Amino acid sequence: MNAGTTAAQNAAVAAARPARQSIRARLALTVTGFGALLVATCVLAPLVGSTPLSLVRVFDRTVPFADNVDAQIFFIARLPRVFAAALVGATLASAGVVLQALLRNPLATPFTLGVSAGAALGAILAITFGSAVTLGPFSPVPLASFAGALIAVAIVYTLASAPGRALSTSVLLLAGVTLNSFFSALILFVQYMADFTEAYRAVRWLMGDLDIGAFGPIVATLPLAIVSFGMFALLPSSLNLLSVGGDVAATRGVDVLRAQRLAFLSASLATSAAVSLAGPIGFIGIVVPHLVRLLVGVDHRVVLPASALFGASFLVVCDVVARTVMAPLEVPVGIVTALIGGPFFLWLLVRRG
Amino acid sequence: MAARAKRLIVALLVGTALACGRASPDQTTGPAPARRIISLVPALTEIVFAIGAGPQVIAVSSYDNDPPEVKTLPRVGALLDPDTERILSMKPDLVLVYGSQAELLNHLSRADIPTFRYRHGGLAELATTFRQVGELTGHLAEAARRSDEIERRLDQVRRRVAGRGRPRTLLVISREPMSLRQVEASGGVGFLNDLIQLAGGANVFADVGRQAVHASTEMLLAKAPDVIVDLHYTGALDDAQLQKEREVWRPLASIPAVKSNRVQLLVGDYLVVPGPRIVQAAEEYARAIHPDAFTSSR
Amino acid sequence: MLSADRVSFGYADFELQDVSIDIPRGSFTGVLGPNGCGKTTLLKLMSGVLKPRAGDVLLEGEPIGHITRRRLARRIAVVPQETHPAFDYTVMEMVLMGRHPHLGPFALEGPADLAIAREALAATGTAHLADRVYMTLSGGEKQRVIIASALTQSPELLLLDEPTASLDLGYQLEIATLLGNLNRERGVTLVLATHDLNLAASLCSDLVLLREGRILARGRTGDVLTTTMVRRLYGVEADVAFHPGAGHLTVIPVRRAEGGVR
Repeated sequence: MNAGTTAAQNAAVAAARPARQSIRARLALTVTGFGALLVATCVLAPLVGSTPLSLVRVFDRTVPFADNVDAQIFFIARLPRVFAAALVGATLASAGVVLQALLRNPLATPFTLGVSAGAALGAILAITFGSAVTLGPFSPVPLASFAGALIAVAIVYTLASAPGRALSTSVLLLAGVTLNSFFSALILFVQYMADFTEAYRAVRWLMGDLDIGAFGPIVATLPLAIVSFGMFALLPSSLNLLSVGGDVAATRGVDVLRAQRLAFLSASLATSAAVSLAGPIGFIGIVVPHLVRLLVGVDHRVVLPASALFGASFLVVCDVVARTVMAPLEVPVGIVTALIGGPFFLWLLVRRG
Repeated sequence: MAARAKRLIVALLVGTALACGRASPDQTTGPAPARRIISLVPALTEIVFAIGAGPQVIAVSSYDNDPPEVKTLPRVGALLDPDTERILSMKPDLVLVYGSQAELLNHLSRADIPTFRYRHGGLAELATTFRQVGELTGHLAEAARRSDEIERRLDQVRRRVAGRGRPRTLLVISREPMSLRQVEASGGVGFLNDLIQLAGGANVFADVGRQAVHASTEMLLAKAPDVIVDLHYTGALDDAQLQKEREVWRPLASIPAVKSNRVQLLVGDYLVVPGPRIVQAAEEYARAIHPDAFTSSR
Repeated sequence: MLSADRVSFGYADFELQDVSIDIPRGSFTGVLGPNGCGKTTLLKLMSGVLKPRAGDVLLEGEPIGHITRRRLARRIAVVPQETHPAFDYTVMEMVLMGRHPHLGPFALEGPADLAIAREALAATGTAHLADRVYMTLSGGEKQRVIIASALTQSPELLLLDEPTASLDLGYQLEIATLLGNLNRERGVTLVLATHDLNLAASLCSDLVLLREGRILARGRTGDVLTTTMVRRLYGVEADVAFHPGAGHLTVIPVRRAEGGVR
């Protein structure tokens, strides 16, 4: 499958990844490197925007917060947005890594498999009809989004594990395309049934929106994200073996069924956390893991944490582009990631073909 | 697809509601007044009824709900989903449509049914639209009379707030309920921008040459409006809900409008329809932007 | 040490019926039979990847269904016919995955694990490939790396499913020598599924002959591998004779048996 990898790529990979280095050293180096990148982007990103800010004024304690425009822009408009981007980028990139290993296909992502669309459908249903439903302090949106993601994942998994049939890339991608159109049709139907202001909001939401204007939405999504990251932490060495093959994994000591369930559940959770916070932002799950593999190799014990960290940085930067490139107007961040990710995806397809 | 849908829906949102006719008289229109009128444009429906041509209307769009008489009329779709077959089968002799409904226009012209194409414009085009609709429906005199009256009353509003300074005003067309996400505000062109101007405000997005602006939290803070007019024209909100929706602005305390309690929530669909009810809308906007100008009356 | 007790297994179109075998510790057992006779299924049952519909597979008396995958993998390793990883793992990474059952959920392999992996690479003659990407290797190299990966599990029992099926003659011999050495020098118990009679004859102390999902015969290689059995197994008249040069029985097919398979 990957035999098409050229010698040049091999050399590049070998150069970037001294295999003689122990896994511990590689992990430490990678986490430090990508961690530093994330810290740097998270520190710099709030300084950039459509409005020039004076840092002195932002941190000027003599002016009450309520009167300090610079501080309000910094702490209300920009910081939550940067954190949301980091959280969404980390969850979507990790979910991509997990789905790719699980389905043994490097082109699998929440977006290409229709999982994001499933989560989006759930969220749209909750946004459109869910205002009547209240679950105590919880918004119904993340839960409905999770249900949608889970249904999409279950369909893909059932297709992928149908006995006696190897799942080719084309079948998987076609299934994803089908699910995407199916869920999109349902989303449009929901919009059609709703009144037009609701529909408009839904469309805008579908292009991804990180402008959350408060820390509240992050807090609401955090439980889902934390649980999914907790589950991710259990997975990497099982993912290595699952990506080699189900039977191989079993005979090397992996409880395959349990690992697969854990992987599907965690990927669904992560996707729905991201989608309910910011809408279905595409292509993070494919661009980030592939770039990370080019840099640090394919061992999931390194790839998964590295992708989470790099995914976070990546979306933070994409969002900076989205809010500055046409300032004062904003480009929906989903358009920025699509402009980067679409060509990248095609390049991967061509390279693999 | 999403982008196209968005464009259409923005057109719908801003269009249905805000459109003010820059009408182009149609060649296919005959000289005899229309007797079987179908209107797909709520603003035009209101105008038709206002000038006394209501009894000639046989069907309206799915978004029409004013005047009350339309409630019993058949619905034949709207901007995005006109029911072409039904429209043709009703044998209308005039169909009022949006200029962007190319496919429907095609069908109608093939069936030789006269149409009136509606395009979005500003407040200045309102009088023209009245006259054109009056001509087509045979109520020109009444149309002129109503139009002049509207002009006169709008002028009263304009004079009432004159000389009171121009507070920087943000007009929020829509946003997510109970949050400041997905804020769409009036840009520097169109009927709503004209209304802010008329009501004595200065649109904070006057420099943006579009009807609607997607306003991020940062822009809201940076524009620092003195007055925020927050429109809620669908559904009914009770006082408690209104209070909650007002509270949503509280965290953005550095905005002068928030600080000085000048976030005005206005409820009602007449606020965004460029028809005969525009006078009430203008008064409501003026009252929101210059409350002190109205303290003596009411 | 491993035994199958009246094991049956069925898909819709295929059955493995009433199969009982016993693999003594230190033995080298060949599972022989034509393609589609159930060899792979039997191996998957013995490694616990498949669960029997009836009967039990026992590891020293304990049903393997009761043993966790992790514990089982420390004792039984498997070499499949072919292995296609979805990503470009290096040889070293592939081999180190064999340490998985010996590591805790969050543990990373340390120097001791690395030493075991290097030894397995050396034993399979693949030490020089350690930094290569697995998918870029030749068929023989791949198979030896997979054997190294299985050895890294430090198993007592190694199950191999047609490990030489896709290899040319030179590699076949290489693998055969490697397996013989593992059995003799390391005392690893081996089960080899193959349709290659001569390979089995050269390596195996015991044979299980499988036809259409049932056991045709089992026992010591010299007792089981006869002209009659070859005829009944493959429907082929063959010369079975001891080859002094090779030092084991050889089977030379002569012609299709009259009256077909039966």
